[in-house]
Amino acid sequence: MTVMQNDTSVVVVEDDPASADVLQRRLQANGMSVSVGRTGGDGLALIRELHPDLVLLDVGLPDTDGYDVCLQVKSDSATADIPVIFLSARGDVFDKVRGLSCGASDYLTKPFHPAELLARVDAVLSQSRRIRSPRLSKPAESAPVGRPTAIIALTDQGRRERAELILGPKFEIIAAGAEGRAVDLLLVDGDASVASRMGNEGPAVLRVAPAGAPMSPDTVVLNDELARIADLAVRERELGRDVDAAADALIALAMAFESHDRATAGHSERVASRAVGIAKALGLDAASCQTIRVGALLRDIGNTKLPLGLVRSRSELTLAERKQIEQHPALGQELLAPFRPLARLLPMVRSHHEHLDGSGYPDGLKAPQIPLEVRIVAVADRYEALRIARPDRPAMSADAAVQILQQCVQRGELDAAVVAALATGVRGHDRGEAAGA
Amino acid sequence: MTSEMQADRSAQPESVPRHEDRFIASEELARLVMRTAGSHLQLARDDRPYQWSTTAYCDTYDWAIYRAAVAGQALRLRFREYHRTRPDEAFTSARVWLELKEDTVDMSRKERFEIAGDVVPAFLRGETDLTDASGGLGQKAAELVRAGARPVVVTQYNRLAYAAPDDRIRITADHNLIYLAVPWTTNSDDAVPIRIGPILARETDVVIEMKWLGELPAWAEELHGYLRQRAPADRPSKFVVAMRHLLGEAKS
Repeated sequence: MTVMQNDTSVVVVEDDPASADVLQRRLQANGMSVSVGRTGGDGLALIRELHPDLVLLDVGLPDTDGYDVCLQVKSDSATADIPVIFLSARGDVFDKVRGLSCGASDYLTKPFHPAELLARVDAVLSQSRRIRSPRLSKPAESAPVGRPTAIIALTDQGRRERAELILGPKFEIIAAGAEGRAVDLLLVDGDASVASRMGNEGPAVLRVAPAGAPMSPDTVVLNDELARIADLAVRERELGRDVDAAADALIALAMAFESHDRATAGHSERVASRAVGIAKALGLDAASCQTIRVGALLRDIGNTKLPLGLVRSRSELTLAERKQIEQHPALGQELLAPFRPLARLLPMVRSHHEHLDGSGYPDGLKAPQIPLEVRIVAVADRYEALRIARPDRPAMSADAAVQILQQCVQRGELDAAVVAALATGVRGHDRGEAAGA
Repeated sequence: MTSEMQADRSAQPESVPRHEDRFIASEELARLVMRTAGSHLQLARDDRPYQWSTTAYCDTYDWAIYRAAVAGQALRLRFREYHRTRPDEAFTSARVWLELKEDTVDMSRKERFEIAGDVVPAFLRGETDLTDASGGLGQKAAELVRAGARPVVVTQYNRLAYAAPDDRIRITADHNLIYLAVPWTTNSDDAVPIRIGPILARETDVVIEMKWLGELPAWAEELHGYLRQRAPADRPSKFVVAMRHLLGEAKS
């Protein structure tokens, strides 16, 4: 018997209306909500919008082939965990191997029996649910009163009960998806996939090693030590939030300084947003993205130590004035250095005007001395600066700005992969806007 | 500290002129070509049929290798790995193939070394000795490493290859070809494996390569002529195409 959850959503990418209709009715009759895309482009748009539980994908499509669609789904970190089943009339072993090597979970040859389709859908969904994280409801705005809360999302019932016994005295154990409750701790299986959150948002996550396995740097063991480790993890997360609060205060200061200049108001926010977009495209984790966001917001905080008239000057700078402006990275580092928890931001503040070929300032660093997060902030800063009108030139279009940065790459000033990530994001955004129009 | 690498015994430096033509073909044309190749040649298992080939290409900070390749003469430095499903990291395998390939107007030479994946950073720091490589390729590679060569682009594809037993003719079809950038920061640490991406471009068609030494047999001559009539043959190498996308020189 095929049992499906009522909230199971499926995207079918199939160009033949009759086949799509049959599939849709068959799946809906088994309690699934179904959306159909008739082309590869439509299908990808639906997958990105709906983030379904499963994709059924035809190989032959009018605008591209199913292999390409599958590769795009599996190449995007936002959709990579969605299982894909190929449905195709091509039954060659090469086609099947090719489909599976593109990342599909299964390959079904047409014509197929409806029962076989449902059985395979069921098997793939069961496998997928075992490795995907429980979906948590949005944490409540207000802080919990009393004991911290924990969700125990272990698949094995015996281990779950043991964890409840260990954590019960210190934590209030709540059910996954409990409406309106903030969660402080999430306990999951060692191999579970957990949606990452930015910085110190969301609960502390502890992964439990399989039975009999020793504790590793990434996992904990179900023993009496667990309560202490869980308590520390929650406290560490709270401390991280305090550091974030300190950074927020400094960011507010930098933003207040910037907001008085109409020409640059909001520039740092745009740089930070762009830098995070690049970092995500490069596959950096949520914690790194958060560090980059704060570093980008604070990169020009040294300007607050320079004469206001100089920073806001709209006329061409003299050589002496330029030299003075070029002090702002070092001044920014001086300003932030006493805040020891913010030490990880200092390279971005001091070195975001350095070039890989050594032609930048203030230290003339060369490529191997410039960390990736600094390269990212430098590219985001340059790009957003080109998009703003200056006294000596108008604001540039997105394409023109990307081309200028690519010329900087060719000269050896900026990081090629970082500029490529920026270009990917800009082109993706343009395509999105065009589709929306 | 200097260590030595073991050259792969199966790989021979090619010291006689080698012909190489590259075609962009539709899926249908590629199927036809490979069916014909399969009836005359053997499946080349060293190319792991339909597994994913991940090749990381190196260049210096002033793009010296790319500039030389565009001019038609370059020593290429690349690392190749094979996986059953497409990885999003490079240098994940226990064994990686380091390849030195030199193209000149008159000839092509290639040397292949099997190394451990975690030895890659040591090689890029200049701590491994390739000076024994024949024809001075190792010496030239060492110079590129001293000039800061590091992985800059990656290609990934599924390859089907047919070859003669003596390897005098080889016909390959690369499907699902993807060009990716490599956010490689420094050669000074041991940071492998490395995450690869973003995706620079995808090839929607199939890349067919014919490589041969000396004269082509009649059936291959006919196939070659058939391909030349139906598919563009002025395709640059994957490295050059990837670099054009990376540097914004390709028409998107």
